[in-house]
Amino acid sequence: MDKGLLAYLLIPLLSAVIIPFAARSRARLADILANVTLLAGLLNLAWLALRPSVIAGGFADIPGDGFSLLLVGAVYLVGLCVTFFSAWFMEDGQANRPAYYSLILASVSAMTGVVTTTDFFTLYVFIEVLAVTSFALITTDESTKGIEGALKYFFLTFPASALIIVGISILMLSLGSLSFETLRIFMASDVPPGPVTFAAALIMLGFLIKSGVVPFHAWTPDAYQGAYAPVSAHLAGIVTKISGVYAVVKLATLLRFFDGRAAALSEMLMFLGLLSIAVGALAALRQKDFKRMLAFSSISQVGYIVLAAGLGTPLAIMGAIFHLVNHATFKTVLFLNSASLEKSAGTTDMEKLGGMEHSMPWTSWTSVIALLSTAGVPPLSGFWSKLLIILALWEAGLRGYAALALLFSLVTLAYFMVMQRKVFFGKKTQAAESAPEVGAPLLAPVVLMSALIVALGLLFPYFYAYAKMVAERILL
Amino acid sequence: MDLSIKMLITAVAVPVFGAFLIPFAARISTAARNAFAVLLGLFTFVAAASLASTVLGGQTADFTLNFPRGFDLILHADLLSVFMASVSAFVSAVILIYSLDYISHYDNQTEYYAMVVLFLGSMMGLVFSANLLWMYVFWEMTGFASWRLVGFFRSDRDVAKANKTILVTVFGALCMLLGIIMVYFDHGTLDLRMLHGQAISYAAAAFILAGILSKSATLPFSTWLPDAGVAPSTVTSLLHAAVLVKIGVYAYARIFGVTFAAPDAFSNTVLYLAGASALVSAGAALIDTDIKRIIAYSTVSQIAFIFLGLASGNKTAFVGALLYILMHSVAKGGLFLCAGIIEQNTHTKDINKMGGLFASMPVTGTAFALCSLSVMGIPPFGGFFSKFLVFSGAAQNGNLAVLLMFLAGAVMTLLYLVRLFYKIFLGEPAGHGSPKEGSVTMVASVMALALIGLALGALIYYPSAYAELLTNTLGVNLQ
Repeated sequence: MDKGLLAYLLIPLLSAVIIPFAARSRARLADILANVTLLAGLLNLAWLALRPSVIAGGFADIPGDGFSLLLVGAVYLVGLCVTFFSAWFMEDGQANRPAYYSLILASVSAMTGVVTTTDFFTLYVFIEVLAVTSFALITTDESTKGIEGALKYFFLTFPASALIIVGISILMLSLGSLSFETLRIFMASDVPPGPVTFAAALIMLGFLIKSGVVPFHAWTPDAYQGAYAPVSAHLAGIVTKISGVYAVVKLATLLRFFDGRAAALSEMLMFLGLLSIAVGALAALRQKDFKRMLAFSSISQVGYIVLAAGLGTPLAIMGAIFHLVNHATFKTVLFLNSASLEKSAGTTDMEKLGGMEHSMPWTSWTSVIALLSTAGVPPLSGFWSKLLIILALWEAGLRGYAALALLFSLVTLAYFMVMQRKVFFGKKTQAAESAPEVGAPLLAPVVLMSALIVALGLLFPYFYAYAKMVAERILL
Repeated sequence: MDLSIKMLITAVAVPVFGAFLIPFAARISTAARNAFAVLLGLFTFVAAASLASTVLGGQTADFTLNFPRGFDLILHADLLSVFMASVSAFVSAVILIYSLDYISHYDNQTEYYAMVVLFLGSMMGLVFSANLLWMYVFWEMTGFASWRLVGFFRSDRDVAKANKTILVTVFGALCMLLGIIMVYFDHGTLDLRMLHGQAISYAAAAFILAGILSKSATLPFSTWLPDAGVAPSTVTSLLHAAVLVKIGVYAYARIFGVTFAAPDAFSNTVLYLAGASALVSAGAALIDTDIKRIIAYSTVSQIAFIFLGLASGNKTAFVGALLYILMHSVAKGGLFLCAGIIEQNTHTKDINKMGGLFASMPVTGTAFALCSLSVMGIPPFGGFFSKFLVFSGAAQNGNLAVLLMFLAGAVMTLLYLVRLFYKIFLGEPAGHGSPKEGSVTMVASVMALALIGLALGALIYYPSAYAELLTNTLGVNLQ
């Protein structure tokens, strides 16, 4: 456990416990408590990482490995956007309001646990806590679809947990310890890996299922589409990234893919990554529902991260980290916008939407920024992370992978063009006529995130310095 | 900091960031927004042109913003970039002025002005970038702006055309990025100043060429331009024909003309591709009946002549190609703006429904004729000198097949422009109501461009001296 960051785990947990009691008579108190908790944490983190003196020093003063801190920041940021959005999105009379915020905070706390832990057992515990909060969150609006999504999520990720625990047991038996450090030292030594690689493969498989990589992606579109609208942003933006993708990246660094000791595993990972990029993007082309399209897009983008993690060179890991953060920003924007559309126009069916740019200009233009970043159009942040990943692939001599990964950006752009034509530009439909732009509070998190997308793109040198620091600390 | 460096930075930064302030200016009033947009355009032109004195004095201006891994943003003003920047900023400024009337009664005007200025700014960035990666960055930004501009009207057809435009050009751009990555790993740098005179591998050159051809709408990527041309506003199609396609030409001149020494086989491939492009599109221009499509096809065909000059590998042709860029921008700009006036006043784009318009639109007709003559290459218009130099350079190169293809192309240019002029302005009126002359600013803009075309022919000494100086100082591997 990275003790320096323990407070970020405990405080939201405490808030989660307090909220049901505090909000018993006044339900609105739940919103305020949740927002204040996350905002305070975020400000604290910003102070820790973004002081001018820290930036000027090339981020050398950052405690720990820097990776955890960055991801805790991402978790808090997305969490804050979601809670802030929910505070205005939720109907006033909604019964389970305090429970909803408690669950969000509990999941923030669990995610903090996942990214700060230094051994597999704790990791497993937090992953399970996260999964349980997610099931409950998906069903917030108690619709049939939500329950269906939650059940699918449950049934498909349960075997994943089983695989992980079996893998962990084998690891315990063969290494005698579950700490990350032991595995790292073991992989750096000359001892034949034997069952350790097998155990790692099982754990990896579990996490791949949880991150929704092809061919384990069946649950994601249903879960995202069925989930309560702001929850789908939470889920797609950060939860599945932390419970699956982060763990894959972490494991990739521990297994030292870059020095070829677990070459078979690394190749498999890269292949699945590319497969996800392709399948996700091609499937997204054919979707008729906004949220489903975003879900497939998520699968495709996760593919880039997994591809980079599978390569495992320092540059690739930097790309993966950057893309992980970028993905959190642009997917949150897009999913929150889909929630706004749902609230305002009453549907996310792209056939029924159209010409929304006039009635909802802010929603439209923030969506455009987010989708261009997803497609890797410069100078937005998504371009730089993809570029780093592609450069890393090329540098490692995997030119075919690099070229394919690059050209699938075009498919990404293509499905988003389809979406833009149907939803935002194009003829106004009946649904669009009566749809008002959502209020400023609902726009605030989206605009903030869009600004971040632009800023991360323009301030790439700073982010690069940070990611470089992280890669050096976790790989060397 | 030196004044010229300040001018260099403002020439890029003012339009790029100014574009995002246009929506705020629109909050004040329509007039404020329009004035602001035109001012941005004029200011950019002045800033770019003011660098001419520096580069003519044998100096260059450089500005570097450090990025990791050799991705530095380097702005570099030399003879070529200042030439290109001045030409495109000038045409864009004319477009902005002409737009004041032309688009005043359509929706989405704020977006329109913001995108034209953003386009201009990214064009400036592209032209001044001395780092291949940043050329790519600005390249994509121009793609984004033109996507919004082609989709200016929001009917499904227009939006689909806009999407086609961006997908074709982005496909090319991604190929180009692949080529850039190859250069990066072959040479360890993307700084064009350091790559000067180096050899480039065939594969990298081919990938970069794909990007260039897609942007300049040359075969096999030519289909998007006529489609973008029928998209809504003539102004938009002008922006594409007169400025956007020049990006590809500029990139060719920059990368293969003054930086890398391209393999001979590569240059020959380009010549044949360009020749085919010139013929096919001239043929299409001969049979089409939509005035804007004809002019768009004509652009595709003329761009091929510029490639002929750039790829012929000798100084005469290179000078001719540079002059061609200038002459074509001015003359084709004039033609498109005339087409805009005609379309707006007759409410049709079909040339079969026009005829006898000279009586009612004498000034537009004269301007159209003057611009056509320049595009055809009739002396003493500017277009004559550029076409003459390109052909004499190509003759020196000695590739007879290519030369014949282009001669046929030049004859066809003559034919389709005469046909166009005849169908529109002469012959019997064909039931188009009572067309009248366009508004004063619009007619003034086209007449100005037509007269500039004539003046450039009379004063050909100055532009050609500039082009020769450029070729002699910067040209690589030219005989």
